[in-house]
Amino acid sequence: MDPTAEVIALVGIGILLTALYLQSESFVDPLIRGISLQSLLLAVLLGWLAWTEQSIDLALLAGLAVVVRAIFIPYVLRRQIRAFRWRLREIHAAHRVTGHALAAVALAIIAWFVFQETLASVFPQPGAALPFVLMIQGLLMLATRTNTIVQVIGYLEEENAVVYAGALFAQAFPLFVEVVVFLDVLGVVLVAVILSIQRDVTGTPEEAALEELSG
Amino acid sequence: MDWATQVVSVVQAATVLLLAPLLAGIGYRLKAWTESRTGPSIFQPYFDLAKYLRKETLLPDGASRIFFVAPFVAFGAYLLISVVVPIITPYPIPFAPTVDFLGGGLLFGLAGTVTLLAAVDSGSNYAILGASRTVSFAAFAEPTLIIVFFAVAVITGTNNPYVTNNLLASSTSAYLSPTHLLVTAAFFLLLLAETGKLPVESTGLMEFGMLEDGRIFEHSGRLLGINRWNGWLKQFLLYSVFVNVFAFPWGLSGDVSAPGTLWNIVLLLAKLLALVGVIVLVEATVAKVRLFKIRDFLALSFSLAVLAVFAFAVLGVP
Repeated sequence: MDPTAEVIALVGIGILLTALYLQSESFVDPLIRGISLQSLLLAVLLGWLAWTEQSIDLALLAGLAVVVRAIFIPYVLRRQIRAFRWRLREIHAAHRVTGHALAAVALAIIAWFVFQETLASVFPQPGAALPFVLMIQGLLMLATRTNTIVQVIGYLEEENAVVYAGALFAQAFPLFVEVVVFLDVLGVVLVAVILSIQRDVTGTPEEAALEELSG
Repeated sequence: MDWATQVVSVVQAATVLLLAPLLAGIGYRLKAWTESRTGPSIFQPYFDLAKYLRKETLLPDGASRIFFVAPFVAFGAYLLISVVVPIITPYPIPFAPTVDFLGGGLLFGLAGTVTLLAAVDSGSNYAILGASRTVSFAAFAEPTLIIVFFAVAVITGTNNPYVTNNLLASSTSAYLSPTHLLVTAAFFLLLLAETGKLPVESTGLMEFGMLEDGRIFEHSGRLLGINRWNGWLKQFLLYSVFVNVFAFPWGLSGDVSAPGTLWNIVLLLAKLLALVGVIVLVEATVAKVRLFKIRDFLALSFSLAVLAVFAFAVLGVP
């Protein structure tokens, strides 16, 4: 087995494990560290591909992934929860750890079957289904969680899936698109933080509704 | 049937029977050290066993023969497992072809089931509570074990532990494959649960969260001694399968001779000591989870086992 395939396999499973961890974790702080680790794994994959393909674009993306996704966004989110300690835990999910973990695994398997039936002929590489599976995991997180920061983390996971797909099928995504994805996430995080700070300061009922973006 | 491999079978069974209490004693001693206690002698389980075997056996009112026979049936099942799984040999011994992984799992299941029946037969609320809890959590643990077998089967194309041992010892890519790494992690978590270690269970009869110990609450004297020995045998066998088939498959000598067998016994002890060290480290660093959170722990183990099979399907490598 060639080293690149092994790295793709190991990093892919690592990313899947972090996705499973994110689904079953109730506390917000470990969730932020989890998404940071997932982004770091993604950066490792991008770095490896940049090295083997001698691609400046991929090297830039690896650097961006470390700086923006693994360090800066987690830093902003952690500062936010440090200011408001009651956000440390998502109470609603606390009693459903088993259910969330099993649902995540079941959905991963369903996603894989869907991928096999639809996209497998276009992307026949080993591990090609993983970005698709990761995207579905992000969607599951958005659908099952009610805490705003956790939902932002679910969104980050989805964006990680997009970058992951870009890394595996590098020719398909030009650098410009990838950079837009990064900045897009940054914008979402900043808007979410500003909205929740505004809500905490004013505390009006209309803004309190923002706490649970369940619609 | 070659007489030399028959002798090795007997040596293997004797190794399991005689060293199982020692391994438990070393575990207790190491755990005491992590708690800044001197701890009991590593031979304390032997002294305990001798004491139990000399004591009078009392039977609860209304208990049937099941209560009396169960510890011996379980002991027989563990003895049978000790001559069919790779413990001190990388080559199949005469009884090995009679069972595969699944057969070994069924024998463990038999031992567990008769112990449960004895607990229910005792009529004691405490013993039945222990049995009820054990069954509740076994409902999550058993599927994990089956999925672990599936994952092993997809790695090697067979369900034979000897083939698995040989393949993993000879192929680095199979050893480092995501499927194998995940299945090893899942089996390790299951090992902690099945042998009553933290974060699932803390040992001691007066613990609120007792599971395994609860089932033998009404046994005394010789029956309690046999039950305790069964616990140590189960631990020794599961640890041996874990180190030889999953975690450290290397180094076993294929030489069917006295020096080869002796080397394998020493190597097995070294591997088991390393594993006990890791488990003591885990016990020293994690807190016991609440009783109803145990299923979360087992769900994690189950998820890892399913992901192992999933990894094989998605990545197309063993």
